Amino acid sequence: MVEKAAKINNQQSNLSLPYIKTGRHYLEGSEACIEGALLAGMKVYAGYPITPASEIMEHASRRLPQFGGRFIQMEDEISAVCTLVGASWAGAKAMTATSSPGFSLMQETISFSIMTETPLVIVDVQRPGPGQGYITTSQEDVMQARYGHHGEGPIIALAPSSVQDMFNLTIEAFNLSEKWRTPVLIMTEETVAHLREQLIVPDLNTIEITKRKKPQDLEIPPEAYLPYGHDLVPPMANFGEGYNINHVGLVHSEDGNVSNYSLKVHLENIERLHQKIEKNVNEISRIEFQFLDDCDHLLVCYGSVARTSLEAVKELRSMHGIKIGFIRLVTLWPFPEEKLRSLISKVKSVFVPEMNMGMIKHPITEALRDRCDQVISMPEIGALHSPEKLIEQIVKRASC
Amino acid sequence: MKIDRLEIRIAGFGGQGVVTMGRVLGVAFTIHEGINSVNTHSYGPESRGGSCRSEVVVSQGEIHYPSVRKADILVALSQVALNMYHQDLKADGILLIDPNSVKDVPDDHVCYEVPAMAIASSIGDVKYQNSVVLGALAALLKSKIKKESLRLAVSKNVPPGTIESNLAAFEQGWTHIMKADMIIAKCDKG
Amino acid sequence: MLKHPMLKYIREDGPAGKRLPFILCPGCGAGQVLNYTLQAVDDIINKSGAKKEDFVFISGIGCSSRLTSHYLNFDSGWTLHGRAIPIATGVLLANPDLKVIVFTGDGDAAAIGGNHFIHAFRRNINITVICVNNGLYGMTGGQVAPTTQPFSITPTTPYGNIEDQFDLCKLAETAGATYVSRWTTAHPMQAIKAIKKGIANKGASFIEILSQCPVHEHKTPVEMIKSLKERTDSIDKSKNSGKIPIGEFYYSPRPEWTDRYEAIIEKCIERTL
Repeated sequence: MVEKAAKINNQQSNLSLPYIKTGRHYLEGSEACIEGALLAGMKVYAGYPITPASEIMEHASRRLPQFGGRFIQMEDEISAVCTLVGASWAGAKAMTATSSPGFSLMQETISFSIMTETPLVIVDVQRPGPGQGYITTSQEDVMQARYGHHGEGPIIALAPSSVQDMFNLTIEAFNLSEKWRTPVLIMTEETVAHLREQLIVPDLNTIEITKRKKPQDLEIPPEAYLPYGHDLVPPMANFGEGYNINHVGLVHSEDGNVSNYSLKVHLENIERLHQKIEKNVNEISRIEFQFLDDCDHLLVCYGSVARTSLEAVKELRSMHGIKIGFIRLVTLWPFPEEKLRSLISKVKSVFVPEMNMGMIKHPITEALRDRCDQVISMPEIGALHSPEKLIEQIVKRASC
Repeated sequence: MKIDRLEIRIAGFGGQGVVTMGRVLGVAFTIHEGINSVNTHSYGPESRGGSCRSEVVVSQGEIHYPSVRKADILVALSQVALNMYHQDLKADGILLIDPNSVKDVPDDHVCYEVPAMAIASSIGDVKYQNSVVLGALAALLKSKIKKESLRLAVSKNVPPGTIESNLAAFEQGWTHIMKADMIIAKCDKG
Repeated sequence: MLKHPMLKYIREDGPAGKRLPFILCPGCGAGQVLNYTLQAVDDIINKSGAKKEDFVFISGIGCSSRLTSHYLNFDSGWTLHGRAIPIATGVLLANPDLKVIVFTGDGDAAAIGGNHFIHAFRRNINITVICVNNGLYGMTGGQVAPTTQPFSITPTTPYGNIEDQFDLCKLAETAGATYVSRWTTAHPMQAIKAIKKGIANKGASFIEILSQCPVHEHKTPVEMIKSLKERTDSIDKSKNSGKIPIGEFYYSPRPEWTDRYEAIIEKCIERTL
């Protein structure tokens, strides 16, 4: 029996759909990302080809119709991300993947999505810049992730380190975007997107999927519905359900009115957007850590650099006697300053290896300003740090 | 035999199936033997002729750093590849080359030869050379992975209609190395 | 007191205060286009049994695009400059049963939105694009647009416009729209009929409404509406008179995008069952 997929909504309970099977798989990061997205309930993908992100789009084009979802290759990155906006407003979980130059093109729409509080997921498979740069790996967009969109308005950005992460964090990205009614970025790199390793898919019934809060869930009728009100995270009505929701990108009141502008209205609007995320940093942001109990020094990293870093940290501890702790930022933004401070009392040096000239080192420096003697940036451009290089540099600096 | 961290690097030029070889090797370890492996590859922008490298890191423990630090096995299918990667081979590492494309071989490592292109051509097409190499690798790695796991991986990862030829190529690669194992193979020039 | 019949579809006020009067200048043609569109939609709801909640209005940025903003008592989105069309496309990808109407202007659709304009028509995705064409960028002060008459003096062509104009209907038709028509704000009944036909067309419809901007043209609305009548002719008559042709240029349905994709979904689901 073939079911006509006429109306797509956010229902995620139909286990007869061809999800990836529980067990061990051997996939590249790109593929794991799409499989996670499908489990999360993604029903619309719109994309545009760009190296090294095209594989993600290709996997989506193959798999999505098998789930009754719809895939479209748009005419550019701007229309790709705009397609996600419309799809989300009509109730679908939607995603795109691009690389750094395409990410730049999407910034206006990201800004708009923050203001209209539109859930959607964007994967940035970072490559070096500026300009077309090269097609290898990088972490040069991490500041763009937070500050690339014009205007105020925080955003959530995750940094996967492995194929398992590409699967898990994509599901988490969708859940975060639905829960907080915000666009969510997955800041990955060419390294992880093209890497192939084992993926363990758990029992599908153990995977938690978040659906957006709708006014119907709170028994708010259309006449009383405030598209930007009721709660710090406003319930979101989907198109086609009789709620007559007006999405507006200008500064607005809780009921969506844009013509009663005042500085008070303006501030209330922006402050709520800000607090929605920043007040909930501890719930949203995740950090992983090891060896913090006895460390003299600290290494803070994210993305694929975390893999080199953990290798180096273990060797530094076992073979060089350097007591160095390891922190991996799973969430880049909102930056988990409080969590970081709560983990560290006093260290000598904080080493921050990044595949850029030093970006996350800035919020780290601010966060640990009174917890360390110095923050040492360890840049690498166009390639993943090797353990040898990290070890050599840390041994030299740690003994000073 | 517990695998702590086994590092295999395959390098050549585009079109030789270097990327496929790495992937199939990874599938063999992870899917058919159940041991975690990480497979990465990098290549120049040209589809054919540019340099190309594929790596497989295998471990029964966690694999952090995803690339080769010091290879246990280097498969060099071009002179350029050997020149570039030979210094990253462990002192007791093994070199595997195609003697028809790699002539200049330093004598500081144990070196096996498999004329992969020639064998593949004799089966019907030079494109089967990657299965020849995989057969040779199966022999070199026989203490770490069952021949059948690699064979199965090959059969499941080649285009339909070519399974028989690829398996024949695999078998020849295997046999070639097994015969050579009878003698300690140390390559000398020429 | 008599109330305009289409006010039933307008949010006059809300908890945060009044929303009317409309921001549009007195005599602006965009208001007429809203009226014609709502009359068309009202007719469809009453006669064909379509539900009000099936209608979605998406607009870009500009005077034309203010027709959504916070005025409509419908599902709507007042979006980005030039991007109403891809956002509308996204709405359909999520729910192809919705009736999506796009309000756009000549600058919004044909300058910044030009790329999306032609691709949506090429795809024949089921949207109805209503373009309020006043031949300039009204909201920002009357600058030259891709539809401005040659030699015009505008804030950015102080020495006269040296460029030629797009014929938006020809552009839409060439790109692949399956229903293309042009009317003016001076032709209410025809415009309403055209909008109805556009909505009913299962495919990409383009309705251009030539409109007056009295403020930037420095003319009275009455003068301009008269001029719209005088400068236009039916398609047949215009061949001799050289006036701007108005009417239905093209109507030839062909398989619509979501219908074509539906066939892919059915095949895929069959295969995996």
